[in-house]
Order: sequence, then structure tokens, then C-alpha cells
Amino acid sequence: MNNLQVLAIGLGLAGHYALVAVGFALIFATLRIFHIAHGTVFITAGYVFFLLHRAQGIGLLPSGVFAVAVAALLGLAIDKAVYLPILRRGGGMFSVFIASLGVSLIFEAGFLAYTKGVVSVARTGMLDILTAGSVTVRSLDLAVLAIVAMVYGLLYLWLHRTKVGLEVRGLTDNGPLAAVVGVNVDRTRTHIFLLASALAGVAGVLTAYDMGIGPDTGTRTLFVAVVAVILGGMRNLLLGAIIGSVALGILTAYAGFYFPEWLTFSVFITMILLILVRPQGLFG
Amino acid sequence: MTSGSKGLYLDDLAMRFGGVQVFEHVTFNIPPERITACIGPNGAGKTTLINAVCGVFRAQSGRVFLDGKSLDGIRPHELVRHGIARTFQDVRIFPYLTVLENVLIAMPNQRGEKLRHLFRPGGGVSTQERRHREDAGALLDAVALTDAANRPAGELPFGRQKLLSLVRAVATGARFLLLDEPVAGVEVELVPRVMALVTKLARVEGRAALLVEHNVDVVREVANQVIVLQGGGIIASGSCDQVLRDERVITEYLGRIYDA
Amino acid sequence: MEHLLYIGSLMCVWIIVSVAVNLVIGYGGMMTMGHAAYLGIGAYTAASLNIFFGVDYFSAMAIAALAGAAVAALTLLPLLRLSGFYFALATLGLNFVFFDLFHNLAPRVEGSEGLHGLKLPAALASADTRFVTTLLITVACILAARHLVGSPFGRLLRATRDRPEAVASVGKNPTACQITIWTVSGALTGLAGALYAATLFYIDPTLFTLNASILMMVYVGVGGLASIAGSILGPVLLIGFTESLRFVGLPSQFLGPAQQGLYGALLIGLMIFRRQGLVGKHDFRE
Repeated sequence: MNNLQVLAIGLGLAGHYALVAVGFALIFATLRIFHIAHGTVFITAGYVFFLLHRAQGIGLLPSGVFAVAVAALLGLAIDKAVYLPILRRGGGMFSVFIASLGVSLIFEAGFLAYTKGVVSVARTGMLDILTAGSVTVRSLDLAVLAIVAMVYGLLYLWLHRTKVGLEVRGLTDNGPLAAVVGVNVDRTRTHIFLLASALAGVAGVLTAYDMGIGPDTGTRTLFVAVVAVILGGMRNLLLGAIIGSVALGILTAYAGFYFPEWLTFSVFITMILLILVRPQGLFG
Repeated sequence: MTSGSKGLYLDDLAMRFGGVQVFEHVTFNIPPERITACIGPNGAGKTTLINAVCGVFRAQSGRVFLDGKSLDGIRPHELVRHGIARTFQDVRIFPYLTVLENVLIAMPNQRGEKLRHLFRPGGGVSTQERRHREDAGALLDAVALTDAANRPAGELPFGRQKLLSLVRAVATGARFLLLDEPVAGVEVELVPRVMALVTKLARVEGRAALLVEHNVDVVREVANQVIVLQGGGIIASGSCDQVLRDERVITEYLGRIYDA
Repeated sequence: MEHLLYIGSLMCVWIIVSVAVNLVIGYGGMMTMGHAAYLGIGAYTAASLNIFFGVDYFSAMAIAALAGAAVAALTLLPLLRLSGFYFALATLGLNFVFFDLFHNLAPRVEGSEGLHGLKLPAALASADTRFVTTLLITVACILAARHLVGSPFGRLLRATRDRPEAVASVGKNPTACQITIWTVSGALTGLAGALYAATLFYIDPTLFTLNASILMMVYVGVGGLASIAGSILGPVLLIGFTESLRFVGLPSQFLGPAQQGLYGALLIGLMIFRRQGLVGKHDFRE
């Protein structure tokens, strides 16, 4: 196992984190909601995909699309059923955060009971291996990166070319002010949750296909994504998420190989140090 | 007036916020046993003056001396121990503490705030607490807040919260009280009580008060000396009569002659 | 019967923990999501001192409380400059940091037959004496906490929770107050950890994860913030309820998830409908 290989693995992981990270950042930057349940959305998509594709034998694309749709709707439902009622009754960021935690607990419990903790991998069949020098990757890894890049590109277009995207960017810059200047915050909010959750859904499908998922994969991935967002900062959502994800991908890959029993420690010490030293991120 | 004299001495204070020179060359003394008033139009920097003295913001230049000793580097919670207490224009009482508790908490040197006394039998906590409650009750009585003593302070209307914040500052026992608009918003019938309280503090207890005020009538009633802050500096200072007849003050601030 | 005594002892342990956590969240206004770390410190300290150094368990408990206090203070100090939300996030991170620390560095006191080599004094050795002793210690902690919150210090604490800058303006040091209550809370939690180890006769790092910290939040949230009575009600009701689930006929593999799902639903319900919990005198504002 050489460092270049670890790097390659890290980049692969980064791809998985990036979609979750950018969605999380989108929601936090615009609505100030610490959406822990984003991990739940991520993992639900994974399980739905697994159920359809692996258990029911439905084709790859329809399963994936359906799973992403479920994720999008789930994220929106969480906001409408849990977050908005809290906010309307005078609750603040903390209350929403705790409720989000509650949502993730419920779903995690459900998945735990259902799967008894076994990791589910949606992929069937063998993979092509490609080698370049001392680095070995699977064709799947490249496919994942390609998909992530494509989705990212679409996201960029959406943020910069559509009316709603413009409104979202307005919210990022100055939340309360955007509401004054005629931005329909409610509709934009819906768009934000749908989109961010869909992104998480794509990530969930990819992860379920590639690495497999367990009941706690959602929260674990979410926290890595959170650290990635803190690191990359939220001044530029897309760039920050990419940079943070690459950094965390490399960190987790490196830790996974050289000191796996300190992996969790490393991620969270990084988080705490970042919060203490530079909470706005490297580029915030 | 030198830095060695008794009193709270402001020496050539200047304050600047993001390109705006709020005031400069502010020099005057707040002597003990006297009531000093600072008047001036809104935005002249009267509250900023209090903030500068209390070290909330760092003054660009100048220093503050308390009985000859510089206040440089003193942390906010140490001010009371050195003898300075202040009130806020926006009040800042503790909303979920009762009115009585708001006063009690300001009492200095409470044994009951130290764990080592709390858990020692015979720590003297309840005796002292009893005495503090009496003193606090008297203060509440002075500003007609006794009936609200056990209500959460946040439930009070603004004017009564203003009164509460005043007696809270008084309860600290600090010799120099910096009061930011103590009667603004207070019910008209209760204003005389404020004036009586502040006068008693100076005449009977020998404390000093700086009144930042708009209400010129109140100033005329109680102030021994008046400073007029306007246009970035002090335009007049002296006794009430002197200041209120000063031409510059009349034209730039009062707009008319204040007659007795 | 022995099982009932065991549940009773567990309730007592969690009452102490809930009181400790409520002191910092409900009375102190500091959101802690990492107190499980201090519970673990207490448990490991007491068990290790007893098993490896033959320290009698009561002394070990006292030292465990001190250890809890020390670690609590140490972990708080760097976080003091953080504002509410980032502070909470950092304490959440503490769970994971300490989990790996326990997993990798703590002495191997776990074993298939439990804490092998743990020697408990007579007052803690059998189920009934253990319950009585634990109950007495719990009552003492409750009384101490009540004395604390009803005192001038308690008043200062609540004021610090509400308006720290105004506390400074009346000449008191809000930060010193926060450090004090956090340390006291750490001591109580450490003590509870020692009792926890004795009651379970087993400890491993998975007992002290984010789930445990969330559990603490649920107990405190249900009982109510800023209420000692609430800190008793919360754990008693919830532990009692989850115990009764056993008799409902749920297959054992569903017990854990059912409990977790229930707590998740409780958190959501509390935040939407009743942030002050059952008998709380304050709520999760902000």
C-alpha cells in the first residue's frame, strides 16, 4: 500500500462526501439549519436503492432515480413536518438541531431493526480493475467520480443560470435581506431542501452500490461531510465542499490505512480544532 | 484637574468608529459626592462615552483615572470592585430572574456565591442573604417596585425595567454610578423618586453619579455640574446655570433659553 | 426481585447524571452533548483503580469524581471562547474523540464475564445493598444540587445563563461561574460513572458514545430544563417505560431499536410541542 494508492482511494471517498457536503452546506448557509437528518436522507436513498435493485432485481437506472426521488421528498418532508413547526412555535437553531437528531435516531433504529446491522451492498458481479503505475483503481471508482463531477456541473448551472439558483445565492449572501427584496423564501426553501436531499440521495445510491451501507453509515458520513464543510467554508458552496471533501477524503483514507483505530478521533479532533481556530473555514 | 485628584477623571478621551470620529479631547472629572450630568443631542456619543470609560470599546487615545489610578486593562467584571457601575439604555435586566433577584445578584461580596461557603455548616450564607434581602427590599421600595418583587423581571414594562436597572446598579455599592438615561421611559410620577434616589446617593452616601440625559428639567433639578457633548467634543461645562445660558449651547442644542 | 433492584440502581445512576447535565444545560445555559465522556472517565477510573491497584471502591469512587471534574474542566477551557452553537458542536465532537481514547488507551477491563477482578465492598456487593447505597448517594447528590441552585450561586448561574455581559456589569465573573458549574457537573458525572461500573459489573467504550450523551439529553429534556425534580422524573419514567417494553412481548432484537426510535420521537415531540419538558422552568431557546 503506497501513498499514491491511498491518495487515489481518498479521492474516491471525496467523491462520496462531496455530494453530501454540498447539500448540507446549501441548507446551513441559506437557512441556518444544522440538518443532521441529511445523513438519514442519504442512507434512506441507499436502502431504497438496495431494496429495489438488489432485492427486487429492478434495473440500475430506475432504482437509482426512484431512490433519489425518495430522498428528495424525504428531505422536504422533514423540513415541513419537523423543522417548520418548531420554527413557527418560536424554537430556534438548537431546537431544530435536536429535533434533527431525533429524526436520525428514529430512522437509524428502523434500519437497525430491519437489517440487524449487516452491511448491504447493492452491487452484483465483478468489477474491472485498472492499473496505472503503482495505483490500482476499479472502473467503478472512475464512474463514481464522473457521476459526481457531472452532478456538480449541473448544480453549478442551477446555481448560476436559473432564477431560483440566483435567489438561493442571494440567501447565502444575506438571509434576512433576501426575504425583503422579494425573494419567495418559502418556495426557495422548498427548492433548497429538494435539491440538497436529491444530492444526498445520489450519494446514497453510489455508496450503497460501491461500498455498502450499514445503519450508522448515514450519521458517520454526515459528520465527515460536516467537517468538510467547516474546512472548506461556505463562502463558495461548491468550491468549499470540494476542497473540504478532498481533504477529508485523503484524511480518512490515510487514517483508514495507517491508524484505523484513531480514524474517528482524527476526524473529530480536526473538527474541534477547526471550530476553535478557523470556524469560517480555510476559504470562508 | 490633575490625574492625581479624587474622582473619575477622563483625560483627553477620543473615540472613533469606522471612519467617524465620535468625539475627541474629552476631558473632565466626575467628583465624588456630586452629580454630574452629560447632555447633548442624540448621536453625540454620550453612551459611547460610558462605554469608553467602562472599557467596552478601546478608546483611540486618552485614559481614565479613578482616584489617580489608571483604569487601563481592567476587565469588565472587575469594574464594580474598583468602584464603577453602569446602567444601559436598553436596560439588560435578567428576564428570567425575579425583580428582587435582579437586585440581589448585584450585591457585592456574597458568601453564597462561593462553593466553599455553601457547603460548610455555619458558612454564614443565610444570615448574609437575609440582610441583603432587606437592603434590596428597601431599594425596590424607593422606586415603587415592591409589588413586583417576585415577578420575572422580563414581564415588567420598559419603564419599570429602567427603574430596576437603576437600583441594580445602586445595589452594587459602587462609588461611581454611570447612568445612561435613567428616566427615559419611566412613568412621569416616578421621575421624582429617581431624582430623590440619585440625590440621596450623592448627598448622604457620598457617591458620585454621571447622568447621561436628555431631560433638561431633571438635569436642572439634581446636577451639580453639567457637560455638554456635541459635534465631536465638549462645547460647554460648568454649573447648570452657566451651561444653560451659554450661547453656543443655546444655539446648537437647546434652541431656546432655559429659564428658572 | 434482583432485576428490580438492578433497575432501581440504574435509575439512581441516571438520576445523578441527569441532575449533572441539567445543571449545565438548564441552569447554566451551556449546551453539552459530550457528557458521556465524563461518565466514561469516572467508570474507567474507578474500575481501574480497584482492579489494578486494589483501591477500595469508595475511595475509587471519590477519585473518579475528581477525575470527572478534572477532565471536564480541561475539556471546557479551550471551548469557552466559542459561541453557543459552535460550543455545542465541539462538545458533540468530544464524544467521538473520547470513544477512540477509551477504545485505544483505556485498560482492558472488559471481559466476557464482566469486570474481572472488581472487588466491591459489602455495601455495594449484593443487589440489595448496592441499591440502598446507590440510592443514598443519589439522594445526597440531589440535596446538594438543590442547595446549590437555591443559593446565591444558583442565582448567579441563572443570570449567567440569561445575560453574561450583564453579569459582568454587576461585578461578577460569568466565566468563572460557568467553569465552576461545569466542573461540579463533571464531578457528579464521574461519580455516577463509578456507580455505573459497579452496577453493571461491566464497562466498555460503547457505553460512552454519542448515544449515551443523547440519552442524557432525552432524560433532561423530558423531565424539563432547570428542574431538579425533572431530572428525577425523566430517567425514572423513561427507564421504567423501556423496562416495561420487555413485558410487551417485543423480540429482544427489537428492544434496542425500539428504545432508540422512541427517544428520537420524544426529542422531536418535545422540540415541537413542549420544549420545557414535563416540569421544566426553562426551555431550549435560541
